[in-house]
Amino acid sequence: MTRRAVIGAAVAGGAGVAAFRLLGLAKPAGNPVSQSLNGATDWISPLATERAQVQQLLRRATFGAGPADLEKALSDGYAKTVQRLVETPAAKPPPFPGGDQAAKGSPLKLVQLQKWWVDQMLKGPTPFAERMTLFWHGHFTSDYRKVGLQSPYVYWQNLTWRDNAVGDLRSFLYQVTTDPGMLRYLDLGTSTGRSPNENYSRELMELFTMGAGTFGEDDVRAAAKALAGWREPQPAETVRTGVFDPRRAYTGGPVTFLGKTARFDTKGVLDQVLAQKATAPFVVRRVLVNFVMPNPSDATVNRLAAGFVKSKWSIRQLMHDVFSSDEFKSASSYRSLVKQPIEFMVSALRALGAESLGQLTQQHGSGMGQTLFDPPDVGGWPLNEAWISSNTVMARVNFVTALMQAVKDLPVSTDAHVQQLDGVLSPATAQLLSAASSDQERWTLVLASPEFQLK
Amino acid sequence: MTEEHGINQLKRRDFLKAGLVFGAGAAGLAAGYAAVPDAFARAVYAAKQEGITNDKVLVMVQLAGGNDGLRTVVPLQDPKLHDYRPRLAGPSVAQALPLTADYGLNQNLKGVKKLFDAGRVAIVQGVGYPNPVFSHFESIRIWETGDPTRRSINGWLGQLAAKQYDTLGHPLTGCACGATDVPGALRDLQATMTVIQDPKNFGFTGGDPVEEAVTALYKDTPGIYGALFDTAIATAKDTIATLKTAGAKYQPMAAYSDQAKLVYSSKNQLASALQLAAELIVAGTGVKLLHVTLGGFDTHYTELNRHDDLMGYLDQAVSAFFQDLDAHGMANNVLLATWSEFGRRPKENASGGTDHGAASPLLLIGSPVQGGLYGSAPKLGDLDATGNLKYSVDFRSVYQEILTSHLGADAQQVLGATFDRVPFIKVPAGVS
Repeated sequence: MTRRAVIGAAVAGGAGVAAFRLLGLAKPAGNPVSQSLNGATDWISPLATERAQVQQLLRRATFGAGPADLEKALSDGYAKTVQRLVETPAAKPPPFPGGDQAAKGSPLKLVQLQKWWVDQMLKGPTPFAERMTLFWHGHFTSDYRKVGLQSPYVYWQNLTWRDNAVGDLRSFLYQVTTDPGMLRYLDLGTSTGRSPNENYSRELMELFTMGAGTFGEDDVRAAAKALAGWREPQPAETVRTGVFDPRRAYTGGPVTFLGKTARFDTKGVLDQVLAQKATAPFVVRRVLVNFVMPNPSDATVNRLAAGFVKSKWSIRQLMHDVFSSDEFKSASSYRSLVKQPIEFMVSALRALGAESLGQLTQQHGSGMGQTLFDPPDVGGWPLNEAWISSNTVMARVNFVTALMQAVKDLPVSTDAHVQQLDGVLSPATAQLLSAASSDQERWTLVLASPEFQLK
Repeated sequence: MTEEHGINQLKRRDFLKAGLVFGAGAAGLAAGYAAVPDAFARAVYAAKQEGITNDKVLVMVQLAGGNDGLRTVVPLQDPKLHDYRPRLAGPSVAQALPLTADYGLNQNLKGVKKLFDAGRVAIVQGVGYPNPVFSHFESIRIWETGDPTRRSINGWLGQLAAKQYDTLGHPLTGCACGATDVPGALRDLQATMTVIQDPKNFGFTGGDPVEEAVTALYKDTPGIYGALFDTAIATAKDTIATLKTAGAKYQPMAAYSDQAKLVYSSKNQLASALQLAAELIVAGTGVKLLHVTLGGFDTHYTELNRHDDLMGYLDQAVSAFFQDLDAHGMANNVLLATWSEFGRRPKENASGGTDHGAASPLLLIGSPVQGGLYGSAPKLGDLDATGNLKYSVDFRSVYQEILTSHLGADAQQVLGATFDRVPFIKVPAGVS
């Protein structure tokens, strides 16, 4: 039986999985859904099979897979693929032309910089590290508007985040705190001990490490004093981090920060933050809602958080534990996350083997609500349902239309619903695919489908 | 009412089943709803009979990041302002546009001043809530839900739409203009909201075949996001048809201009967002609740120029909006209200900016208001323990007046309680 016929048979069989299973097919294909969920239906999770686990892993830990990536991962198996993705250090991207020389009069070219990064996502040899770089860009957020383009800061921050993406959180936090772009974005670079600016101090605790409600206003003020003294580097200083100037620092003696009274320096502040009970669960929850499911249980969060602390804050170990967890492979994890626009676009290009068309992502990201280096606010990118509106879903469809016009040779589409959608289709998708008569129609349906927007 | 909230509770809105938009025959029946099929229009019309049936419109303007109230409505006579703000106070006091002997508007709010002089601006001073929260996101959520205990997840306007406008969820009851996602104030799992970033490019670039295919594709989609996806596509389709009709009925009668130099935030297209709001109002689409956002108010640094620019930009966009509505004779029922998650600290910081604060003034603009100053301005000599201004008017008092006196809604149902009245809406003739 051809796959086309399988889909047709599934549709003819109505909405029942039972009818479909009677056909005795081993491989899920064109599986209509029928599980009841509060009166609606839910996707039937195929995650009991290693194949589906691998496919989900590639959707979430990378920017999606073309046929060759999938073949390799399937032949390696799930555990080995996790190991390979997580253990491979981030490849150094080619230098961004003019990046280090950016200055007044010769600013960073934003559009080219965005394209440069998208090319790493599309073609870079270490897709997991790229995915983590994007995650941290949304977590330790800065935007080009405030940081500006008349310095290399936006570019340098991207390199620094990539270098630290799977390192240890303690060193990463120090890099974040003293990053020139961050010094500017959250104003630590102009704060002084005499008249501290609270912006970084507050967001360090609220958004980066501990979460709202876990600290008091006195702690914000204390850390603002203790952190004061950093400034942006001068070009002649040839460093890519901030410079600490003791003359600008706080000289008023010990401060009380999160219950401890001491003369904290910057490392001391970060150590004190990492010593808080709230920190590991907060960061782990952020990871889980981005990579596993929208509502992880406290038990799951706490278990992974304990491992994270024990590993001395190894992000690599954390991600290994996350991908190896039962929760990741559980039915409730299946299609429980919405792809960010950039993930959707890059995975569509990769599905078609159209890695050379990175520039297409640029004019389309904005209508979907995502522009690289320009998150909506200091909270970074939103999640899941916030990506779904009349404007954004239409913009996603329009991206597929543009993609179809731009791609010269479409790959054969016979297998597309299995390779890209795990063969788990809504009745509507199954029916339309079975009626489609060309590669272009089928790819349009696959990439524009609700199934493909999920991961 | 179900206590359990979550995306799983999202209902497939009835309007999806109605099949939507394929002809404009029902325009008369639907009283202002453009291009809807007969069966659907009848249903919407019936639903309108059950809830709010007036033509009042509310436009909420979010000043995102925390607007500095002391540079919006400037205390002119208080020497403490200069003590707290050696760099920021002088220029703003010297240039302010006096409203009274004691208070003046930011010098760039020239158009708002004109509207104030015409009796069309109410300023409520000292607006806040008990135990102020200094987190952007927590405080935004409080303002969006109208719930300082932070238990609610639905927006106050979302709840209003779901409970008191049409229970079928006509997509254009509420609309976020110039945005890509549904703002929290409009969010409610039982309310259908339209989001339009740019009306000129709102449509399927693949044309009818793609629109048809996608409509069939986003049908009974399973999973926790299924109804949301299906609603998004159905809403987009309905909105495309409405915009087509609306565009033909509307010509802007004012100069809206978005200032490209204003790069403090990606949310900087206020003028075009308000132009879209005007278009939807003028074209009689039945829109009731509109939301637009201007970002960039988180002025921790070099606030002097930045905040003045933002005030000027706000002023130009709002002035154009009212000029346009006036020229179309459509201003009578429209109230525009600003809101921001908090004001800023009276004391300036080392960066020439101000940190997160508490109470601040709100501007309520339009023909429905009784112009003047309301509430009492916070006292610079009486700050709270965090060095911030104390509030005198609970923000829910402002919401209540908007809901009750302007929209004719049941405020108690939305806010869960009754608050002191701030009577900034005109009492209609014959009512006492």
